Amino acid sequence: MKKKRNDLKKSRASRLGRGLYLGLIILFLYLPIGTLMVLSFNSGKSMNAWQGFSLRWYQEMFQNQEILDALGNTLSIALWSATLATIIGVLACIGLNTMSEKRRSFFMGLNNIPLLNADIVTGISIMMSFLLFGISLSYGAVLFAHITFCIPYVILSVMPKFRQLQNLTFEAALDLGASPVYAFFRIVLPDIMPGVMSGFLLAFTMSVDDFVITHFTRGAGINTLSTLIYSQVKVGIRPTLYALSTVIFLTVLAVLVASNLLSSAGKRRSGPSGGSGMTPKKMIAMALILALGLGFTAKFTLSRGVSAASGSRGELYVYNFGDYIDPDLVSMFEEETGYTVIMDYFDTNEEMYPVIRNHTAQYDVICASDYMINKMISEDLLDTIDFRYVPNIENLQENVRGFVEEFDPGMQHCVPHTWGTYGILYNTAMVDEAPDSWSDLWDEKWFQQIMMPNSIRECDMIAAKILGYSMNTAQESELKEITDLLIEQKPLVYSYANDNARDLMVGGSAAMAVIASGDVLYAQEENEDLDFVVPAEGTEVWTDCWAIPAGAANKEGAQEWINFMLRGDVARMNFEYLTYAIPNTEILDLTDNPILNPSEEILARCETLKNLGAETDDMYSRYWKIFKSS
Amino acid sequence: MTNSVMKKLFSAPFVAFILCGTLVPMGVIAWYGLTDRSGAFTVENVAAMFGGDHAKALGLSLALSLISTAICLLLAFPLGLLLRDSGLGKKGFMVFLFILPMWMNFLLRTMAWQVLLEKGGILNTILGAFGLPALEMINTPTAVVLGMVYDYLPFMVLPIYNALSKIDSSLIEAAYDLGASKSVVLRRILIPLSVPGIVSGVTMVFVPSLTTFAISNMLGGGKVNLIGNIIEQEFTSSSNWNLGSGLSLVMMIFIVISMALIEKFDRNGEGNLI
Amino acid sequence: MGFHPAEFLTAAMALIELVDLSKSYDGETVLDEFTLSIKENEFITLLGPSGCGKTTTLRIVGGFTRPDTGKVIFEGKDITDVAPNKRHVNTVFQKYALFPNMNIAENIAFGLRISGKSKDYINDKIKYALKLVNLSGYEKRSVDSLSGGQQQRIAIARAIVNEPQVLLLDEPLGALDLKMRQEMQYELIRLKRELGITFLYVTHDQEEALTMSDKVVVMNQGYIQQMGTPEQIYNEPENAFVADFIGDSNIIDGIMLEDRVVKICDHIFPCIDEGFGRNTPVDVVIRPEDILIGKPGEGIMDGMVTSNVFIGVHYEMCIEAGGFEWLAQNTRSYPVGTKVSIGVTPENIQIMNKPQSEDEEAISFDD
Repeated sequence: MKKKRNDLKKSRASRLGRGLYLGLIILFLYLPIGTLMVLSFNSGKSMNAWQGFSLRWYQEMFQNQEILDALGNTLSIALWSATLATIIGVLACIGLNTMSEKRRSFFMGLNNIPLLNADIVTGISIMMSFLLFGISLSYGAVLFAHITFCIPYVILSVMPKFRQLQNLTFEAALDLGASPVYAFFRIVLPDIMPGVMSGFLLAFTMSVDDFVITHFTRGAGINTLSTLIYSQVKVGIRPTLYALSTVIFLTVLAVLVASNLLSSAGKRRSGPSGGSGMTPKKMIAMALILALGLGFTAKFTLSRGVSAASGSRGELYVYNFGDYIDPDLVSMFEEETGYTVIMDYFDTNEEMYPVIRNHTAQYDVICASDYMINKMISEDLLDTIDFRYVPNIENLQENVRGFVEEFDPGMQHCVPHTWGTYGILYNTAMVDEAPDSWSDLWDEKWFQQIMMPNSIRECDMIAAKILGYSMNTAQESELKEITDLLIEQKPLVYSYANDNARDLMVGGSAAMAVIASGDVLYAQEENEDLDFVVPAEGTEVWTDCWAIPAGAANKEGAQEWINFMLRGDVARMNFEYLTYAIPNTEILDLTDNPILNPSEEILARCETLKNLGAETDDMYSRYWKIFKSS
Repeated sequence: MTNSVMKKLFSAPFVAFILCGTLVPMGVIAWYGLTDRSGAFTVENVAAMFGGDHAKALGLSLALSLISTAICLLLAFPLGLLLRDSGLGKKGFMVFLFILPMWMNFLLRTMAWQVLLEKGGILNTILGAFGLPALEMINTPTAVVLGMVYDYLPFMVLPIYNALSKIDSSLIEAAYDLGASKSVVLRRILIPLSVPGIVSGVTMVFVPSLTTFAISNMLGGGKVNLIGNIIEQEFTSSSNWNLGSGLSLVMMIFIVISMALIEKFDRNGEGNLI
Repeated sequence: MGFHPAEFLTAAMALIELVDLSKSYDGETVLDEFTLSIKENEFITLLGPSGCGKTTTLRIVGGFTRPDTGKVIFEGKDITDVAPNKRHVNTVFQKYALFPNMNIAENIAFGLRISGKSKDYINDKIKYALKLVNLSGYEKRSVDSLSGGQQQRIAIARAIVNEPQVLLLDEPLGALDLKMRQEMQYELIRLKRELGITFLYVTHDQEEALTMSDKVVVMNQGYIQQMGTPEQIYNEPENAFVADFIGDSNIIDGIMLEDRVVKICDHIFPCIDEGFGRNTPVDVVIRPEDILIGKPGEGIMDGMVTSNVFIGVHYEMCIEAGGFEWLAQNTRSYPVGTKVSIGVTPENIQIMNKPQSEDEEAISFDD
């Protein structure tokens, strides 16, 4: 009897252990999702403090045309690619089954390649093929890529059903006088239907979930949810994305639960002899997905149709840094001019450059930094601007025009959008003594509390200033010293970040960050402990400009865009949204302060980035990789 | 035209997609990878993988993806066993519970960890409230591994669970009947018979972890430079397609290896996700 | 094997005693206070329709299922809570359960390796076992390459090399075709004789049960219906369930007028049963092969042949007589429409008490 009790204890203990294990994994899986769901109802942007319940982010999400467009694209691409892949896959199975064993396994082997290939390789290879054969990337390219990687899933789900089927029932139907087509639809199709449906669902899921392949093959104006999320996450904290996560999760949950409940209800009605239990479930899941997808694509195309009607003058493709314009201005511009604006984002100049150089996607107007404008002018990648159509140019601040002369002599190719300097943003709650030198970023006191830029030239500039070199050095020995200095600092750095450094400083993640002067006002508004300094060694003055790529399809619209951006009221709205200095004389009442318009004394110690030529660029890129991999 | 020839024609669109979507692009990668900017033949781009910073990034990628694959396997196998043994009524629900996160966009799931792990994030706030030292995990390789495990765990659970649930329970009873202890049953019956599922789970976690660039960008704070980041940078910022293609060619070796493994262990497609 | 004085005792005593075993799944009772004792060296068969509790009983003995109440006594020791891997019994599973990841030799060696036997011993045992099941030379073959019958024999070999005191066989021939099944029946009888161990066999096939067993236990709805030698079960079914389940039979309402006289269909039949009282309603069982067919007037009742099918050695006929369709078997054929008479010798009439209600049809053996 005693032994029995021991056994009982043991089994209770092991059941407890199992429960604990399952519980921990469930916690691991759902804690992040749950966190996002809770934060999506937080009225503030904070990641760790509850600032009151609000549906603000949901409201913003449903009003955000970018998110809605991306959602529409995601669903329509998934629906089309899954449908076409299913049709092609089923046809392929019919064909493959008439082939000899050897040939069939050859094709099945090929079929496996997209499945096993790394997404990055698939994406790159399809992108390069398109461009090599002169086809520009677009919705069609993404769809093609998605069909390519969806077909294998369909074939793998349908093929086993065909193998089970054998030829007998089909032949029996023919024997009874059915035509082959009739026999296929009445006899074969119902038998393979579970496989067809699971193939379709799998393809749909894979398409919705894909990021990497879309990332490489998408063209102008095409964002799926994945690519949109990726570009937004890089920019900073986006509570609308929390709301989006919650909506996606709850939708998926509802679809799956509903299909489960409906199918089990259906099974009960049809009795236990219902055969393969998955079938009704899959059927319902598929019906729900179709309904949802069609509903959204219909709504999407409808709303597009309306806006296309208003945008009767055609489309204007804009390529811009992420979050670098007040979104309301886009709809304002659309209303005033009748163009439909399609805007894409990039994170760094280096990311934008190959897209323009290789004509990966066609843009009408781009935003780029000084040195990049210089480089693109020298490579004939930019068109000149006809200032007869840009009368608002008279609003440009005169001292900024001086800087433009350095990289675009005569200012023929570009018009400044924003300008500023780099300096150190620091948290006075953590840093007692205000930093005054770049070398304070090398102080071990700030171990893991420093944020540096995640771009080649800015990082190099900081080290160059400490070493007393020009930030435009072409000497390999100097670049090597610069790189060594950056490597030395690496252990102290919390993260290398561009736009999101601001939000992280606001959240108190680090003590010091290198930040553009334009980010300072916004950051100080959110966190009053933050202060800004331009180090004594001097810094970079940067100018981001609008420019028109050579061969732009809509140059007229591009010039209207540039003229629009120079308007006083537009500059005001943009400044209020961005808090970056806008060199517009109409808004000097707002921008005339030492952070945004530094004294001439400070400006005298500054340099602008120069274009260094392909060979020196390659050298910079080589040393950057050495630094990153160290 | 005979019936069978017509049926063979049905596979024409499939063959066309294989040709245009897979074989030609592979050829293009090989073409770029084996030439330099001027179009002359060179193996330099491929050889570059094994020199200096590229080799370092590849090594780091291999290490992190192996670690995360191992962690996924260690988590998923016991989970598969538990799911296999759980009561019939509960089973469907449990499996559902463990693969549900797979349907949420993986970038959002990764972002969730960013929010949790950030220095001023939730986990540290909670730890701080209890007077515990802060977790310094974000922007380290550990955070990247965590992200990989979180994102790809369902891809390991599903094939392993499928393989385990296909094992006839009378085999396990037979082993006990012949005197086997639990560990013998695990070692000699359960593990060997779930090898197809394990192999396919391992490749489905290993290959995407090895080549990821999104997870390392989001959770690595620009400090964890994986081979995926380097390849992506070659195409997006450095714009050296030849070098990027050459590096991609090397990555395909790993894909060939996993294809061979699957061919060896999973002839019948038993371990498929489907 | 050590010689233990207890073995003298247990030889006479029951080897296994199942005491008051009950088991229910989700409120459905599959085994109800089941009690049975199994002697050493016996070939005992649990026979019954699916769901009667026979497999559950076997699984309780094997240790795979824990009874809700009751005990399993093995050689006088309570082993109810002993894990299956610690019991001196081995099982031959319904679908063989051979390990597909091991070859034949590895399958057979599985149990021996675990108990740490030497290599030579194991190799000898494999050879011996394969010879015993007529599959010598199959060591290196894979499981997939064997036919169902061969796999079955390997499953038996794998179980018996461990020299279990009891071999449990769970419908081991169920998946085989008819001819293979008959061959395997003889094979099992031979094995049993050569090994001299106890066989506990579960089947729903009455022919298997009757051919091989020393003792047959007929089960239904968790109760034992009847227990006895194959002859007893076949010739003297104790209730209508057993009669119906074992072979074909005519089960007719009758009235026991007095000892050794029963009235069936208003005709008087002499029989040999006594002690039912006077004018008691009873069930009468008559096997089809026991019905004697003669010319009209020769037997007890007259009737007419309504169907006739040749089924091998004999003809199976339906004879309409006294308002009842009698199933009869005879080596001689009587064409449909022939007027005949039927009769039964007294010793071939089996009289059973009528159950009082539906429930009582499943009477526990103890009652």
